[in-house]
Amino acid sequence: MQSLYRLGVAEVVQGVTSREFSAEEYIHQLLERIERVEPKINAFITVSKSSIDQARIIDRKIRDGEKVGPLAGVVVAIKDNICTKGMRTTCASKMLDDYVPPYDATVVDRLQQAGAIVIGKTNMDEFGMGSTTEFSRHGATRNPWDINKVPGGSSGGSAASVAALECTVSLGSDTGGSVRCPASFCSVVGFKPTYGLVSRYGLVSYANSLEQIGPLGKTVSDVASVMNVIAGFDEKDNTTAAGRPSYSVDKRPLRVGLVKEFVEGADEQVSKIISNSLDVFAKVGCQCEETSVASVQYALPSYYTIATAEASSNLARYDNIRYGFDMNPEGYEWNTYFSKARSNFGEEVKRRIITGSYVLSSGYYGKYYLKAQQARSILIRDLKSLFKKYDVLVGPTMPILPFNMGEKVDNPLTMYLVDVDTVVANLTGIPAISVPAGFARNGMPVGLQIMADAFCEQTLIDAASMFETEAKVQRSPEL
Amino acid sequence: MQTKIGLEIHCQLTGLKSKLFCSCGTDYRGKEPNSNVCPTCLGLPGTLPLLNKKAVEFASMISLALDCRVPEEIMFYRKNYFYPDLPKNFQLTQYNAYGITSIGVDGSLQYGDDKVARIRRVQLEEDPGRVVYESGSMEKSLYALVDYNRAGIPLVEIVTEPDFSDPKDVRLFLNKITSIVEHLGVCDTKLEGSVRCDVNVSVQGGLRVEIKNVGSFSEAEKAVRYEIARQKTMVSRNIEVKAETRHWDDARKITKESRSKEEEQDYRYFPEPDIPAITLGKDFVLSLKPSMPELPDARKERFISALGLSPHVAQVLIENKELADFFELTIKLYNSPKEVANWIVTDLISFVDEKDREGGNLLAGLKVGPEHIAELARMVEQNTVNRTMAKQILGQVVRTGEMPSVVARKSQATRIADSSVIADAVEAVFKAEQSAVADARQNPNAANFLLGKVMQLTKGRADPKTALELINKKLRETT
Amino acid sequence: MVTKEEVKHLSWLSRFDLSDEELSKYTAQIEQIISYLDKLDSMPLENVEPVKAKKNLADLRNDQATNFAGEVLGTKYRKDGFVKAPRMV
Ligand SMILES: [Mg+2]
Ligand SMILES: [Zn+2]
Repeated sequence: MQSLYRLGVAEVVQGVTSREFSAEEYIHQLLERIERVEPKINAFITVSKSSIDQARIIDRKIRDGEKVGPLAGVVVAIKDNICTKGMRTTCASKMLDDYVPPYDATVVDRLQQAGAIVIGKTNMDEFGMGSTTEFSRHGATRNPWDINKVPGGSSGGSAASVAALECTVSLGSDTGGSVRCPASFCSVVGFKPTYGLVSRYGLVSYANSLEQIGPLGKTVSDVASVMNVIAGFDEKDNTTAAGRPSYSVDKRPLRVGLVKEFVEGADEQVSKIISNSLDVFAKVGCQCEETSVASVQYALPSYYTIATAEASSNLARYDNIRYGFDMNPEGYEWNTYFSKARSNFGEEVKRRIITGSYVLSSGYYGKYYLKAQQARSILIRDLKSLFKKYDVLVGPTMPILPFNMGEKVDNPLTMYLVDVDTVVANLTGIPAISVPAGFARNGMPVGLQIMADAFCEQTLIDAASMFETEAKVQRSPEL
Repeated sequence: MQTKIGLEIHCQLTGLKSKLFCSCGTDYRGKEPNSNVCPTCLGLPGTLPLLNKKAVEFASMISLALDCRVPEEIMFYRKNYFYPDLPKNFQLTQYNAYGITSIGVDGSLQYGDDKVARIRRVQLEEDPGRVVYESGSMEKSLYALVDYNRAGIPLVEIVTEPDFSDPKDVRLFLNKITSIVEHLGVCDTKLEGSVRCDVNVSVQGGLRVEIKNVGSFSEAEKAVRYEIARQKTMVSRNIEVKAETRHWDDARKITKESRSKEEEQDYRYFPEPDIPAITLGKDFVLSLKPSMPELPDARKERFISALGLSPHVAQVLIENKELADFFELTIKLYNSPKEVANWIVTDLISFVDEKDREGGNLLAGLKVGPEHIAELARMVEQNTVNRTMAKQILGQVVRTGEMPSVVARKSQATRIADSSVIADAVEAVFKAEQSAVADARQNPNAANFLLGKVMQLTKGRADPKTALELINKKLRETT
Repeated sequence: MVTKEEVKHLSWLSRFDLSDEELSKYTAQIEQIISYLDKLDSMPLENVEPVKAKKNLADLRNDQATNFAGEVLGTKYRKDGFVKAPRMV
C-alpha cells in the first residue's frame, strides 16, 4: 500500500475528493504512524480517537456528492494551548490537567469547516514559555533528526509531528519565535502571520500583544493552504484586521536584504548556510544585498519585558477554583489555597511570572514596560524604512544549531538569548517564515528566516517558495 | 475642625442589555447561581473581551453630566489582584497615567442649594462576582460559595475629590447623583446593589480611612457619621488614627477592621492588550450631547420658568425622577402645575413609609397614578371638595387605588351646600361649647375654634366660608 | 540589584509558595534577567509613542444579550449551582 502519511495538503485533498483513497484510510495510516514513532518523539499530549469519525463524515459527504471544504481530509495536529471543544487542552501544565474547553478556537472551527480533521493536541513548553519543549508536564518532545536533541519550542510537538509525518500539517503559536524556532530545528516550514491576521480567540494567552497562531507544514504551499482557511477578520477578536485574504504561490523577482546583525551573531555553520542562501535567491533573479538594523539590539530585552509582564497577569486566573486540576478547596484559607494550587506551575513559568511582576510593580513601569513599548515603536519605524528598499529581509531563524536536551534548562538567560532573531517579528507585528535552508556537519537542520512588511504575506510566500524550490532541502528524516 | 470626606461611587449600568465584555445579560438578579455566565466572563483560557459600545456611550453621558472632560481616545487597564470572586484575578478598568485618561476627568457637580463637589474621574469597569456563605457566617463555613452571575456587569465608578465635611452633604450629593443617572436612563438605582459607595474619611489629626462595602447610598451617610464619631473619639483620647481599610457592617451599622490581612497592595496596572485603544474622535462629545436626556438641573429650571413652580417644589420633584415624571404625566391630564405639584410634594409624599423613602422608592407602595392626582386637584380647584376632605380622600386612594370621585361619593364627602344643615350644626356647637362662645364674644379670633368644631361635626363637609358667616352672625345675634 | 525580600514580595503578589532554596535560586536568576533587561536604559531616549492597537467606537460590539449554551464550569466542587471556594478568613 502507498505511504499516504508522506503526502502534502494538495495531494491529500486531491486523493480524498477524487476517492483515490478515503480520508479514513489516510487517518488510519497516520494513527499507525503515531503509534510507531511516538515512543521516540513524544510530539502529542492527546491523540483523538474521534478523528476517525470525522474522517468517515468527510468520506460520506464526498460519496453523497455534498460540498466539502478546501482542506477535505487534511489531518491537523493542534498545539495544546489552542482550545478544542470537548478535547482536553492542558497547555502542558498541571494547572490545566483536567481542563476541557466548552468552545472551539476560531482557527479550529475554521479548519473543521474546511474539512480538516483534528488528530490531536501537541506537546509544548508549559504555556508556551520556552524554546525547547522540555518544560512540559508530559515530558520533553525529541527532535526527529536526532532524538537526543531538542526540537525547539515552544511549539516543539507541532514541528516534530510534521517532521515525523504524524499529521499533514499542524498549528502552533508564536509569541517570540515559538513556531519558527521548532520549524527551523526540525527542518519544516513554520509561519508567523502579521499580528491581527489570524484570530487569537481560543488561543490561551501567554503574551497577548505579541502572539499569533501560525501553521507548520512540510512545504510553503502547505502552510499557505492553511493560511487561506484560518486568516482573516474574526468578530470574536477585536485585534483582528478587516478582510479574508487568499494567497497563492507565485514566482517573481524580489529585492532581498540580508540582516547583518542576525548573521554576525550566529554560529559559524549557521551563518555560512544562510549567506549561501543569498546565492539561491540570486539564481532566481532576485536582487540581494546586506543591510543593517541597529535597533534590533533592543529587541530581546524589550521582548522579555513585555512577554513576562503580560504573562504575569494572564496566568493569574489559574487559581484552580473554576477549572484546573483536582484539589478540594474545603477547609482552606483562600491565600493558602491559591498559593498551594499555583505552586504546581513549572519552574520556568514561575520564573517568568515573578519577572513580569517585577517589571510591572510600582516604580518600574516607566523603566521597563513603557520603555519596552517605545523600543517596539523604534523597531517598527526602522523596519518600515527598510521595507521601502527591500521586499523581504532574511537571516537565520535560530542563531545556533539544535542543542542537546538538558543543555540549557538550568541557565534561563542563555536560553532566552536564542530567541534573538525571532522576537523582532513579534515586537513589530510583521509576518515571518522559517524555511529549511540546509544541514550542519552533524546533520542538524538550519532554517532561513524571511520577514516581510505587515500584511505582505503574499510577498513572504513568494520568496519562501522560490527559495524552497531552488534550495531543495530534505524534509522528513528516516525514523 | 477639618473633616474630609471623599466618595467612590459605583453605579451598575443596568440600562444596558449585555455585560461589559461579553453578551451575557445584565439581568442577573434572582437567577440560578452561575447561570448567567459564558466562557468570557468566567475568564476561561483563550477568551477575549469584546467591549460593549453602548457602555462607552453611557459612561460618556455620565461624564458629561458631571461636567467632566471626555478624551478623544480611551483605553482599558488591568488592575491585578487576587480574589475568589474575580474570575481572571485582574479587573478590567481604566486608569489615568502617561497621557491616557479614563472616560471622564476633572469635573464638578453642584448639589444642595449652592454647594459644589469636584469630580476627580469617571471610569468604566467590570463588576466582580459574589461570595456568600452557606450558614450566613464565614466563621462556621468550611468553604465559601461563589456565584459569577454578576461578574462582568458594567460599572461606572465616580471618584470625587475629598470635598465634603458634613455627612448631610454626602447624602445630598448622592441624591443628586441618583437623580442624574436615573434621568440619563443608565442606572435603575432601585435595584438591589445597583449603586454602592466606598467612602474615605479623615478628621483633623488623623490619617485617611477607607470604608468599603457600603451597599447603598442611604447607608453611606450613616457610615460617614459613624466613622467621623469614631475617629474624633480616638483623636480626643490621643489614639492614633491609622490609614486603613475598614468594612461597613450593614447589620450592626458600624465600621469594622478588615479581617483579611491587608498586605501591601500593588495593582501593577498596565494597558489591556486585547482591547485596542478606542478612538472616540473630536466630534463624539458634540454628537452625544444633543441626544442626551434632559438632566435634573435643566428640568428644575423648566419647572420654575415654564410651569411657575417654586424653586423648593421644583427641587423636591427633580430629586427623584419618578416623582418628576409622575408630575409631568399628571399635568398632561389636568394642566394646573402648581396645584398638582403641591399635592405631590406635600401630601402624596407624606403617605410614603420610612423604608421606601430610604430606598428612594417613593411611589411603589402607593396605589396611585397620575389620573388620581389629576382628578383630586381638579375637584379641589373646582370646589367640589375642600382641602381637608381631599386629603382624607387621598389617604384612601393610596390604599385602594379607587378614583377620588368614587371615594368622595361613597363617604358622601361632597360639600354641604345647604346652609340650613350647617346652621343646625352651628346651633349644636354653640350649645356644647358655651365657654368658648363666651371667649369668642370677647375675642373674634376665637371664632376659629368654633369653626373647627362645626367642621368636625360635619366631618369636614361643611363649606367653611358659609359656616364662619353663620357663626359670626350668631355671635352678634346673641350678644 | 534584585533582593530576596523583593522576590518574596513578588511571589506573594503572584501567590506562589516558595521554599527558601527556591527563593535564593530565583533571586539569583531574576537578578541576572533584570540586569539584561536594563539594556533598555541604554536606548536613545526618543520621543516615540509606545505601540498600541487602535479601533473606532463604531466597530465595537453592539449591546445585545445572548445566553451561552453549554457547561462552562470545570470544577466538581460545587453546591446548589455555586462554586466552592476557600474561605476568605
Ligand atoms: Mg473601581
Ligand atoms: Zn459572559
